[in-house]
Amino acid sequence: MERRLTKLLVANRGEIALRIIRSARLFGLKTVAVYSAADANSAHAGAADEAIAIGPAEAAKSYLDIAAIIAAAKRSGADAIHPGYGFLSERPEFARAAADAQIVFVGPRPEVMAALGDKVAARRIAVAAGVPVVPGIDAAEISATREYAAIVGYPLVVKAAAGGGGRGMRVVAEASQLERALEAAAREAAAAFGDGRIFVEKYLARPRHVEIQILGDNHGAVAALGERECSIQRRHQKIIEESPAPGLSAEMRAKMIDAALKLARAAHYTSAGTVEFLVEGGNFYFLEVNARLQVEHPVTEMRFGCDLVCEQLRIASGGKVAEFAAPRGAAIECRINAEDPEHDFRPATGTVLHLSVPGGPGVRFDSHLARGAEVTPWYDGLLGKLVCYGADREEARGRLVNALGEFALLGVTNNAAYLRDIVASEHFRDAELSTNFIDLFFSGWEISKPEIDAAIAAAVITADGAMGDTTSGGAVSSMPLPAGIERRSPWDGLKNFELWGARR
Amino acid sequence: MKFTRAGDSREIDAEAISRDGVTVRIRIGDRQIAAEFTPNADGGGMLTIEGRRYPVFGARRKDSILVSVGPAAFEFKPAEAAFRRRARGLAAAEITAPMPGKVLKVLVRDGDLVEAGQAMVVIEAMKMETTLAAESAAMVKHVRVEEGQMVDHGAVLIELSPPPASSVRKSAPRVE
Repeated sequence: MERRLTKLLVANRGEIALRIIRSARLFGLKTVAVYSAADANSAHAGAADEAIAIGPAEAAKSYLDIAAIIAAAKRSGADAIHPGYGFLSERPEFARAAADAQIVFVGPRPEVMAALGDKVAARRIAVAAGVPVVPGIDAAEISATREYAAIVGYPLVVKAAAGGGGRGMRVVAEASQLERALEAAAREAAAAFGDGRIFVEKYLARPRHVEIQILGDNHGAVAALGERECSIQRRHQKIIEESPAPGLSAEMRAKMIDAALKLARAAHYTSAGTVEFLVEGGNFYFLEVNARLQVEHPVTEMRFGCDLVCEQLRIASGGKVAEFAAPRGAAIECRINAEDPEHDFRPATGTVLHLSVPGGPGVRFDSHLARGAEVTPWYDGLLGKLVCYGADREEARGRLVNALGEFALLGVTNNAAYLRDIVASEHFRDAELSTNFIDLFFSGWEISKPEIDAAIAAAVITADGAMGDTTSGGAVSSMPLPAGIERRSPWDGLKNFELWGARR
Repeated sequence: MKFTRAGDSREIDAEAISRDGVTVRIRIGDRQIAAEFTPNADGGGMLTIEGRRYPVFGARRKDSILVSVGPAAFEFKPAEAAFRRRARGLAAAEITAPMPGKVLKVLVRDGDLVEAGQAMVVIEAMKMETTLAAESAAMVKHVRVEEGQMVDHGAVLIELSPPPASSVRKSAPRVE
């Protein structure tokens, strides 16, 4: 079963591609990046030992093109493929295509992925393994779904069978919205996963989202690496994740870990995966298995002092699941996204003109951003993950507040200030966590008045050319000169200053 | 000088009115603030207002000014660029793309009468769908895009005209 790997193709982009390349290198593997036309100059393509173009910007013709990626793997002589998260990571046919080409797929076996990646099938496995599930039904037929909905009652939630990360997921408040929600969810699911099947579940009023990290090897051993609390979500997209889950009793944690392990054994799970649960009161319900590495895996890595990608690579090489020491301290991650938190979180694009990356003890920033990097509308808007570790939750939280304060990104509208205000809030400090957290405490968030004043002042200064002198639409050039060199005062130009030459 | 924050129609009226060393007095509406600015080696600077210090960065572009204040990012546009043409009885004479993306669905045709709130176009960007609806009752003058088409930020998708006094023809329900 032992197989010595030499070269890993990373079938992804952005921060996760970079993160996998780093671990692969540590593991002693050569790395191959694949990139679309929109990512030709991107960090992940530059970081790998070799980079292969696989198609145009459109994901369907590049990062979702199985044939193109397998061809790139063969061409480069890669003997393993890591799919990252999103894109093809939970597509059994991709894992199968890799196996057919004698390439090791770093993830669960295709049949396991097919069973668990499909949420409807996964529910069946969970029920058979004695794991509690949320009441729900396959929504293939509208009339049957409508009947079921009338029995269980609204609100309901519509989900993609092939989904994950909240994509293609919608809450239906009343019967009149059902049909439209089903249609939109199916369409989004088809676009995002190439699979439009959906199902419907009872919507829990104020649940918490707690998940268990699992690892399984090819010798039948499975291990759990504690939990992650991911209750802070916006439109079902996680934005802040942490471990341990605040206030989770040792007894409840043990039960959830036991349920996750039962499921993993029942499914003969291998590689890294996550078993997600909804927690309400003293009950927990199986939600889904993410048969891949999760976006928020660094939270677990920081507490366990491990590298989950290296663990995946070891398992893929035929190694056994490691023995992990007990977790320590607390870790919190937040996702910095290209979106406008003051305007309905509309997706943002742009060129990075300046980037300030936070540092200090216990601070980790996983990102593909660099000055000059382009954020295009083609892909998911995740810009980076800021993760802080502390001896306890308060220390981790304090570090994250400070780190977000140090963060600056000019050129792409993003949610960093919004995240800072959430993490700094009493509601977050006091862990008043539920998946409704944002609706309850942070809907209609606005940037503070003093910061708007500062922004207006900075805009006036920039308009004058005292800062951020740019060519039209181009990159920023640094304004100040080294000390001792004569230079006109930044304010010389402000006499009779008019922003953009006022028309009066 | 008047300008707006991108995505926000409220006008901001601000100007620098005097300076003294590193201190500049800035009028914002009918208020005045004193700001101290010292440039940094990284291309940005430190802005001090009422004892609070903010690391700031800025860049000028053709039709906008980008600024960051700590982790907060801002985009300002001259008021003229942000001005949306308004015609009699209409909230807006055009439906424009709020972000670059792909037109998934066009739900109206030339000549359709639409009501306030009626969905007209569905755009997909970063795998999320956004439905653009009419802000007021209107007649669809011209649909300028097709399903499947990629559009840039600000591209005109649909031109609207005021609804006629008597309805011409109701929007035909479309079979999906």
